Amino acid sequence: MKKMSIRNLLVAMTATATLGTAGTSYAEDPIRIGGLYILSGSAATYGEFAQRGINLAVDEINDSGGILGRQVEMIYEDTQGKASVAIQAARKLVYSESADALVGLDSSGVAQGMVPTMPELQKPLIITHAATPDVTGKLCNAFTYRISVNVAQNMKAAAMVAAETDATKTDATNWTTIGPDYAFGHQSWEFFGNYLKEINPDVNLMSETNFPRFGAEDFTPFIDRVMDSDAEGVLISVWGGDLVNFIRQANNRGFFEEDLEVMFTVGAATEVLTALGEEMPEGVHLSTRYWYEAYDNDTNDRFVKAYLDAYGNPPSYNAEGAYAAIYAYKQAMEAAGTTDGPAVAKALSGMSMEAPNGTVTFRAGDNQAMVSPNWGVSGPMHPEHGIRTLTNLQIFDGEEVARTIEATGCKL
Amino acid sequence: MKTKVLMAILAVVIAGLIAVPWIASYFYVFIFTEILILGLFAASFNLIFGYTGMLSFGHAAFFGIGAYATALVLIHLEWPFLACLLVSMGASALLALMIGFLSVRLNEVYFAMLTLAFGMMVFAIAYQWRSVTNGSDGLAGFTLGSFGLGLDLTLANPSVYYHVVLGIVAIAAIVLYVICRSSFGMILKAIRQNPERVSFAGLNVRTYRLVAFVIAGIFAGLAGGLIAPFLRVASPELLHWSMSAEPILMAILGGTGFFLGPFIGSAAFVLLETWITTYTESWMLVLGIILALMVIFFRKGLLGTAIDWWMEVKK
Repeated sequence: MKKMSIRNLLVAMTATATLGTAGTSYAEDPIRIGGLYILSGSAATYGEFAQRGINLAVDEINDSGGILGRQVEMIYEDTQGKASVAIQAARKLVYSESADALVGLDSSGVAQGMVPTMPELQKPLIITHAATPDVTGKLCNAFTYRISVNVAQNMKAAAMVAAETDATKTDATNWTTIGPDYAFGHQSWEFFGNYLKEINPDVNLMSETNFPRFGAEDFTPFIDRVMDSDAEGVLISVWGGDLVNFIRQANNRGFFEEDLEVMFTVGAATEVLTALGEEMPEGVHLSTRYWYEAYDNDTNDRFVKAYLDAYGNPPSYNAEGAYAAIYAYKQAMEAAGTTDGPAVAKALSGMSMEAPNGTVTFRAGDNQAMVSPNWGVSGPMHPEHGIRTLTNLQIFDGEEVARTIEATGCKL
Repeated sequence: MKTKVLMAILAVVIAGLIAVPWIASYFYVFIFTEILILGLFAASFNLIFGYTGMLSFGHAAFFGIGAYATALVLIHLEWPFLACLLVSMGASALLALMIGFLSVRLNEVYFAMLTLAFGMMVFAIAYQWRSVTNGSDGLAGFTLGSFGLGLDLTLANPSVYYHVVLGIVAIAAIVLYVICRSSFGMILKAIRQNPERVSFAGLNVRTYRLVAFVIAGIFAGLAGGLIAPFLRVASPELLHWSMSAEPILMAILGGTGFFLGPFIGSAAFVLLETWITTYTESWMLVLGIILALMVIFFRKGLLGTAIDWWMEVKK
C-alpha cells in the first residue's frame, strides 16, 4: 500500500501540473488510462493483481514505442466496491484527470450502477473482472465492453460440469448455493440453476439458499447449515478475501469430508490459491476465467513468464484481463488513429485480438468478449508456484457457452 | 455596517455558486453539486440538532428513503423530476412521523439510541428486501426524464443538474431559514435551552419536537431525492448509520449556531475529502484530527469562529 500512496502522489502532482491543459492533448502528452479497482478492504488483492497485470502491459507497450507514438500512463482510483464511489471516481478520472479511456471494475454491483453512466462520459470502458450478465445485457451501451468471462458463460459451463458429476447422474439431486449477498451471488445461482435444469430437469434446486454479506468474516453459520441440510451439491460463489476465510473455516468444520459435490465458481483465482497454499482442499471443482497453464500460445507464454519474473507468483485471471484490456486499447486506438472516446469505443466493437487466453473477439451485438471459462479439479501442489494445480482441466468454447444476443436483452 | 458587508459577502458567494460551471473545471461541477445536496441534508439535521437540541443518529433514514423514493418512481413510473421530489418528501415525512412519534418522548442519549435503532431498521429493510430495493446493490440504471412544469431541461447534463440543484437547495434553504426565524423556530431554541420552562409556559414540548423532527425529515428526504439522480444509484449505504454521522460532522465543522454553518461544513467536508484522498487513502484520520481540534478549540465551528473573529478584530 505504501508504494500505492507514492504512486498516487506522483499522479496527483502530474495531474495538478497538467490541470491547465485539461481537455487538449498534444502529441508528446501521454495517453492516460483510468483504472477503477477495489484497492482497500477484503478484496484489495484483486485490485493489486489487476495493477500488476496492467503495469506489465504498460511497461511493455511504453518500451516498444507506446500507442500512436505516445507513452501510456495509468491513473488509479479505489472503488471501495461501492457503486456511488465508483461513479464519482470515474467522473473524477474523466473530467479532472483527463483520462482517455477506463478499465476496471471488480464488483457486479458496482458495474450495474456505473455502466449506465458511461455514455455521459463519452469514454470507453473495458470491464476486466465484474461478471454480471446485465452490463452486456439489458444495461449494455456503446461505450461498455467486457474482456472477461461473465456469469452467464461461466454458469453454463458450471452446469455442464455439474451434470457430469456423480451427484447429478444419480437421479433427483439436491443442489444449493453459498454466495455473496449481492448481484454476483444471486445471479450465479439463478443462471446455474436455469442451465442445470435445462440439462437435467430432475435436479432439485433447494429453496434453502445461503447468502452471507460480502466481507462477512464469519461463514460458519452458513457452512453448518449446508452440512445439516440434504444438499448433495453446492455451488459456492464466495470470492476474494472472503473465499480465503471461507475455506479455512470450512476446513475447521470438516466441510470437505462430507459427501458433497463442491463447486467454487471463482475458486481457481491465483490470489486465493496463493493465500491458501495447501489449505485449499484437493478434489473440489474450481473455476477461473483464465488458468495460466491452460493456453498454449506465444502471447500466453510471454505473459506468464514476464509475470512470474516480475512478481514471483503465477498470474490470476484478474491480472490477465487487466493486461489484455490495455492491449485492446492499444489495438483499438491504433485502428481508430485517435484517442477520441467515441471513435475508440467504435473500434472495439467486433474487434479481434491476440490475448493470453487465445484470440478474443468483442461480439458486436453486446460487446461481450467471447472468452473461455476454465474448470478443473484441485490437484497436488505445484512444485514451484506454491499453489494447487488444476487437474481434469476443461476449456470451454467462449462462443458456445455465451447467450445468444437476443437472450442477452442487449439492443445496440 | 458589518451586517451589510456580511450580506455583500453572501451575495458574492451566491454569484460565485451560480457561475461555477463557467469558471471552475468541469470536475468541480460534481463537487459543488454534492456540497449543495449534503449541505441541505446537514441544514435539515441542524434544525433538530443546533436549534432544538436533539442529537439524532438516524437522520440518514430520511435522506435514504428520499433517494429510494425518487429512484423507484424513476424506474417504475418515469414521472417528471419535480414529482419525484414531492414523492421523496412525502415518503420521508411519513417515516419521520412514525419514527419521531416513538422517539421524541425520550431525551438525550435515549433519543440518540432510539433514532440509531430505527435508522438501522430502515437500513436492514433496504438491505434485505431484494425484490423491491435490489438488496445491497441498490437501485441503479434509471434514466432522467423531464423536469416538470413544462421546462425543457436536460437533467443528464451535469451543469444543468447543478443549476437545478442550486435552485432547489436555495429555495429549500430560504424556507428552512424562515422556519428557524419564525416564532416556531424561537420556541425550538427555547426548548434546547430549557425544556422545563417552555413546558411551564404552557406549550407542549413533545409536539414541538415532533413537528421539528418531521420538518427536518422532509428536507432530508428532499436532499435524498436530489442525490439519487446525481449518484445514479440509491444504495443501502445512504441509509447506514455512518451516513447519519455525516450531517453531525458537517454541522459541528461548520458551526451549529449559524443557519449557514452546515453548508460551510458540507463544503469543508467534501473539499477536504476530495483533496486529501488524492494524496492518501486514510482521509478519515485527517478528518478525525481536524474535528478533534475544532471541538477542543473552535466550538463554534468554521463559520462561527470566522464571524466572531471578524466582529472582534475589525471594530
